[in-house]
Amino acid sequence: MGDIFVLAEHREGELREVTLEMLTLAGQLGGNVVCVLLGSGVDDYASKVAGYSDKVIYIDDPIFANFNAMAYQAALSELIKSEKPSVTLIGNTGQGVDIIGSLAVELEVPFTTDAVAVTLEGDKPVVTRQYYGGKINGNINFKDADTYIIGVREAAIPAGEGGKSGEVAKTANPVTAEITARKFLEYVEAAVGDVDITQSTLLVSIGRGIREDKNMPMVEELAQLMGADISGSRAVVDAGWLPTDRQVGISGKTVKPKLYLALGISGAFQHVTGMKGSDLVVAINKDPDAPIFQYADYGIVDDLLKVVPALIDKLKEMKG
Amino acid sequence: MNIVVCVKQVPDTSDPDTEVHIDGTGRGVDQSKFSFVINDADNYAVEEAILLKEKHGGEVTVVNIGGEAANQVIRMALAKGGDGAVRLDDESFVYSDVVATARLLKSAIKDLGCDLVLTGCMASDDGYGAVGIALAQMLEVPHAAYVKTVEVVDDKKLKVGRELEGGLLEMNEIEMPCLLAIQTGGNEPRYASFKGIREASKKEIKVMDLAATGLSADEVGESGSVAVMTQYSVPEVGDLAEMIEGDPAETSAKLANILKEKGLV
Amino acid sequence: MSIEHGTFVQKYDLLGCIQCGRCTGGCPVTVRTDLNVRRFMYDTVEDDRLEELSEKPEIWDCTTCNTCAIRCPKGLEPFEVLLGLRSMRAEEGNIEPTARDALESMFNNGNPWGKPAAKRCDWMQDIDGVENVRILEPGEKADVLVHVCCTAAYDPRIMPLAKNLARVLDAAGVDYGFIGEEEKHCGSEARRLGEEGLFEYFDEENTELLNQYEVNRLVTLSPHCFNSFKSEYTNLSMPVLHYTQLVAELIEDKKLELKNEIASSVVFHDPCYLGKKNLVFDEPRYILSQIPGMETAEFFRSKERSLCCEGGGGKMWVESESKEQRLAETRIADAQELGAKIVAVACPFCLLTLEDALKVRGLEEEMRVADILELLGESL
Repeated sequence: MGDIFVLAEHREGELREVTLEMLTLAGQLGGNVVCVLLGSGVDDYASKVAGYSDKVIYIDDPIFANFNAMAYQAALSELIKSEKPSVTLIGNTGQGVDIIGSLAVELEVPFTTDAVAVTLEGDKPVVTRQYYGGKINGNINFKDADTYIIGVREAAIPAGEGGKSGEVAKTANPVTAEITARKFLEYVEAAVGDVDITQSTLLVSIGRGIREDKNMPMVEELAQLMGADISGSRAVVDAGWLPTDRQVGISGKTVKPKLYLALGISGAFQHVTGMKGSDLVVAINKDPDAPIFQYADYGIVDDLLKVVPALIDKLKEMKG
Repeated sequence: MNIVVCVKQVPDTSDPDTEVHIDGTGRGVDQSKFSFVINDADNYAVEEAILLKEKHGGEVTVVNIGGEAANQVIRMALAKGGDGAVRLDDESFVYSDVVATARLLKSAIKDLGCDLVLTGCMASDDGYGAVGIALAQMLEVPHAAYVKTVEVVDDKKLKVGRELEGGLLEMNEIEMPCLLAIQTGGNEPRYASFKGIREASKKEIKVMDLAATGLSADEVGESGSVAVMTQYSVPEVGDLAEMIEGDPAETSAKLANILKEKGLV
Repeated sequence: MSIEHGTFVQKYDLLGCIQCGRCTGGCPVTVRTDLNVRRFMYDTVEDDRLEELSEKPEIWDCTTCNTCAIRCPKGLEPFEVLLGLRSMRAEEGNIEPTARDALESMFNNGNPWGKPAAKRCDWMQDIDGVENVRILEPGEKADVLVHVCCTAAYDPRIMPLAKNLARVLDAAGVDYGFIGEEEKHCGSEARRLGEEGLFEYFDEENTELLNQYEVNRLVTLSPHCFNSFKSEYTNLSMPVLHYTQLVAELIEDKKLELKNEIASSVVFHDPCYLGKKNLVFDEPRYILSQIPGMETAEFFRSKERSLCCEGGGGKMWVESESKEQRLAETRIADAQELGAKIVAVACPFCLLTLEDALKVRGLEEEMRVADILELLGESL
């Protein structure tokens, strides 16, 4: 096993967690872990990833101040050609997906995306992926090659503690030609108050179990702590506690968040139909027979008015 | 502006009650009980194509790889405002991976002389999210993935917003011709009425077999692939909710830990 | 829709309208929304206004409860004009996403609920006292063929209705069977959501399938399916009954014995598509009167004047903007005033909307909403 390249991912002054997850994975695979850091004045990231790497190739160039798929692809392509890593890991993220397919085709390298597990058979990686929305798994068999590119799903492999201290090799950008066909302009945050629950990643969803208007601030505090948006059942919208566009269900919106935290929602079929695409469903309801538990991954049978304040405390504690 | 939009027909497995059973070969699933629909993201790509056509003129060509049954999704796209369609259909195309699939699409698109190619950002069945991006490289045009907003700057340039984790939009300027892999949620796909779909069945769907693509047999299907799924397996998951027991202090602590482990808080 | 001269005038006999206002005067949703059906009868005479009128949000407030038609002295059906306007929207593809999803699911899955066709018979598992549920093959003979409505097949709250129907028919020794996975949406809600073309597709597909059975009659669980099969299908070769009609007959013929007492006061809520639309008023009341121990009361507004629950007319998928009290809540309040302990219905939509309203009013402890089939199940 030769070098394993890991492409560091950063955005708006933040090194993204997926980087450490991939570095951890690369360490587990047993190769020489090489982190490729493309950035501009990000020496602090370099020292951070060095703790997980045997070597850091750090290209400090203003073109990498923000992500640009073409600039990234051009530099990576040269690096892979010259350094010949055995495997290159790239986050299967908004950034990574924008380069994996084109980079691999350019280099004529076998590749796959959205790996949830990677193991080795000899020197050849075997990738496990999910199919049909996670209903079944599948293993990828690569055509024999000297090098492979793998997109790794975020949060699929927990980041370890590191414990390495690789050297940071500052390298000049091998690509000097100007990139004109695609230009980064700016980041635009979704406007606050302009919530589209169909696009929400995390939803705290409330039902009749919330009982009174005066319990809303508690829910809002929880949602804010979690970085979640608030949605609700028809009854809550009818009561005027949430605007119409926050209603989940057959006559409201269909949502598919990563987490659907159902508070005091009984789970009528007409409601459940609107949230069936959620990745993880957690239900808190004092009625143990509430149908929502049939759709939940985790359930707590209790009064939400007792559990939610305790959960708020725990989350505050965690965040320090 | 002439636009090509690539659409895939997929089984609708979004419902939690829809079971996916691995077939005897271990490489396929039992399709007999599925209903088939247009891939969700492709539906948004079709809508984006029609919206651009309505605003800026030009023609929309629908491209698909699939058997005759896929005519259903093609006709739906035609009913919404598509002008023509190509369907790539040959037994040798089975088991094509991302690269072979992109190669096939390229064979149908390369001579159409379009300004813009749209695909969905990901298919709901295999979830690779890579065909569009690979195709762009083969067509030698710039691309952008996860595109949620499209604005025409002038007849050479587009301004596109790419949706990143957490809903952040990364705004880019991109030169045409180019390929955009469209994310869901950027528009509201219109309804194709039953009557509209029936009328659209009068429009011709050009069918391309292997010979018509100009590709050789070893460039398509499994032999033309670099990463093939060879064995499905059933993940271990519990059917029922895992109940978290204890008093509120305990249950909330356990829940907070679960959420943290899953990277949700 | 191609708008030719006089399109609506001819189709809906608009010149027959005398603008007396009885339609709007009786329309139950006027207390909640801006809908004024009389104005639409007047305005849609002008072809060049149809496009604009079809864009008014209130055309989606109509529940197609048939009150306007039953009150019209000229025998017109004013609400049909609203469906005509809806169909203009549907043909342009410009409809609410919730309606779009329901319609696409009807076409793809044969039901509006987004559920797989392969799961249509899941409700048949574990029916208390019924050993083998018989699914008839096309061509097979039986007295009764049962059409289970999509809602009963998929909504866990409504499944007990279908189960109880099987139990009742078993207990009465009826020679009956179900259609199975081939069963499809009746098309009623497709038509109410403005999808005439899709309705015609269901008419053709279902007729072709149903006419292959050698059965004496088709029995439906929902009044909405009942109405479509009975009045809107063009070539169906068999008589169509709502289950209340069949059960009343079974009780009268002493084939069905109701033993268990339900000592409670019950008020019957007339489903619009059973009552106002098809004038079936007596059979459900007769059944309730035959359940031992049951005291029956009547709503002030009952039979032809019955108040709609707002579950029909595609309203399960399209919300009104209005924040005024839902009619179902009004209905529950009326029942509470009557001192009724059970609000009996004979329709899946009524059951869902009224039960929801009961929960909103926090009356779960005092009252319940039950379909007649559930009461029959308890009384067997």
